[in-house]
Amino acid sequence: MNLMTYARRNIFRRRGRTILTVLGVALTILIFSGMRTVVAAWEAGAEEARADRIASRHKNSIVMLLPKRYVDDVRAVPGVDSATYAVWFGSKDPKKRTEFFAGFAVDHESWFQVMDEFELAPAALEEWKRTPNGAVLGDLLAKTLEVKVGDRVTIQSDIYPGDWEFVVKGIYKPLRKTADRNSFIFRWDFLNNDPRGDVMRDQIGWVLSRIKDPTQSAAISKQIDTMFDQRDDQTLTQSERAFQLGWLGMFSSLLKAFDIVTLIILLVMALILANTIAMAVRERTHEYGVLRAIGFQPGHIVGFVLGEALLVGALGGLVGIVFTVLLINGVIGPAVEDGMGAWFPYFRAPFKVIAMAFGAATLAGVLAGAYPAWQASRRKVTDALRRID
Amino acid sequence: MAPEDKNDGKNDGKNDGKNGNGSIVTLSGITKTFYRGKEPIPVLEGLDLDVPTGSFEALMGPSGSGKSTLLNIIAGLDRPTKGTVKVAGSDLTHMSDGELAKWRSQTIGFVFQSFNLIPVLTAAQNVELPLLLTGLSSAERKKRVATALRVVNLEDRMDHFPRQMSGGQEQRVAIARAIVNDPKIIVADEPTGDLDRKSADDVLHLMEQLNKEFGKTIFMVTHDPAAAERASVQRKLDKGTLV
Repeated sequence: MNLMTYARRNIFRRRGRTILTVLGVALTILIFSGMRTVVAAWEAGAEEARADRIASRHKNSIVMLLPKRYVDDVRAVPGVDSATYAVWFGSKDPKKRTEFFAGFAVDHESWFQVMDEFELAPAALEEWKRTPNGAVLGDLLAKTLEVKVGDRVTIQSDIYPGDWEFVVKGIYKPLRKTADRNSFIFRWDFLNNDPRGDVMRDQIGWVLSRIKDPTQSAAISKQIDTMFDQRDDQTLTQSERAFQLGWLGMFSSLLKAFDIVTLIILLVMALILANTIAMAVRERTHEYGVLRAIGFQPGHIVGFVLGEALLVGALGGLVGIVFTVLLINGVIGPAVEDGMGAWFPYFRAPFKVIAMAFGAATLAGVLAGAYPAWQASRRKVTDALRRID
Repeated sequence: MAPEDKNDGKNDGKNDGKNGNGSIVTLSGITKTFYRGKEPIPVLEGLDLDVPTGSFEALMGPSGSGKSTLLNIIAGLDRPTKGTVKVAGSDLTHMSDGELAKWRSQTIGFVFQSFNLIPVLTAAQNVELPLLLTGLSSAERKKRVATALRVVNLEDRMDHFPRQMSGGQEQRVAIARAIVNDPKIIVADEPTGDLDRKSADDVLHLMEQLNKEFGKTIFMVTHDPAAAERASVQRKLDKGTLV
């Protein structure tokens, strides 16, 4: 036996109450993990961004365009291995089979060379390069739009009027679990040559460059921006991660709301635990008096109460993690990836979320036990011995 | 030191466990006043007491006479409003709460009316509790627990939980817990109050044995005249003074 034996045994003294508390904590941990998984899935692209890629966009805003000729200037910068470009198309499915998917007009010569997290059969790539109105789709999007190589597909745009008809020339697969499998990629020159694209003629949304030495990322970015400093359109060049986070920044209010709800959930969890621990401490006031009488110090009482609170919190956290793995990773995750792959190509609770959930549960336990522990330790021994519940 | 060893009367190796006059407890001019709001309620008034080392004393008196308050002061659980308290060679008057707790763990063995065993711990674990405050190894603790339970004749109930024992057995486990640290004095607050006659006799017999065979000083508060008769000295407290 050691000092923790007493704290450990106390957990199941009121079995029903402890089980309900553990389940309460476990459910809040499940909700917590679910919400953090949404945020983590949202940011996954940025988290797994390549260190050897940098992105240049208009200095003022991501929605403003750059002259297409900038690409050649970027390619000439020392340290830049290759560069490609794209422009946002604002795609819509006229048949409403999906609410949202990403559509880009890209440089067909260099896109897959720089974006090497996608796998496209060499024959399909060659075929696409030969076909001005050819399109390459992510495998999940192809499934949603019910198309295969050789099919014709019509999409619309929020930006460009009318129907846009393409021939599917390839279906790419991801080589990285967080890579987007729901993009619709077609040739920039096709958009540029269409009269409906006049408003943005010879302009591009951003340049993506692969650099030879990732440690030179900041220096090369600065060099690119300095190069365009005196031109009409200045650039902002960032690491791919910062660039992705810039995109996500447009949804920052939503993410902040998630953060606030997450905090409220943690508060609820702490209150559930505090209620249980406060009841247990009140019931054991006399017992703590006995322990103090036989020589245990106030610090020991704090240790017993905090130890018990921490163990209940940790137990709730563990059960919550089991729920998370079974429900989020096993059931909800695959369903989300199938149905909302454009937003969440990879929807599983990552290790950091699980670790955070467990840490939150144990921390909530300690916080919940702090006040009752302090109270129990401060009570006069003779008062505690008089108290019989 | 195991309970079967005679008490050598030493306290932390710094004193002989006596207060210089052969007494283990010396109270001088003890006054204790409680307050209900601002109204003072005197409980003990100018009380003097000497308890000789190795004696078995019973303190009787009507409810509200201050018996438990006096016991708490002797045991270092409460402080007098006025007066000095010397127990087992230590002056408790100016000790901090932490020092008092440490002193209690080394000097006092408690026996309560309602046994006060921890229900989630076995008999052996309950007895081991005070030893967790010492630096003894697990093996040494186990040895002492076994000895203490043998003294109270409950070796075979070592792994039983309190709910699996009778009241008399629970009180004997509580006595084992009180002696496991080899205290200099055992204070007992109505130790037979919750027991039937037969169990009460067993417990009193055990206390006599601890006093006579192991030389333990016992100071017992009781309402029960039959229990008081088993002590070598009977004292009576009435309205805060010894009569």
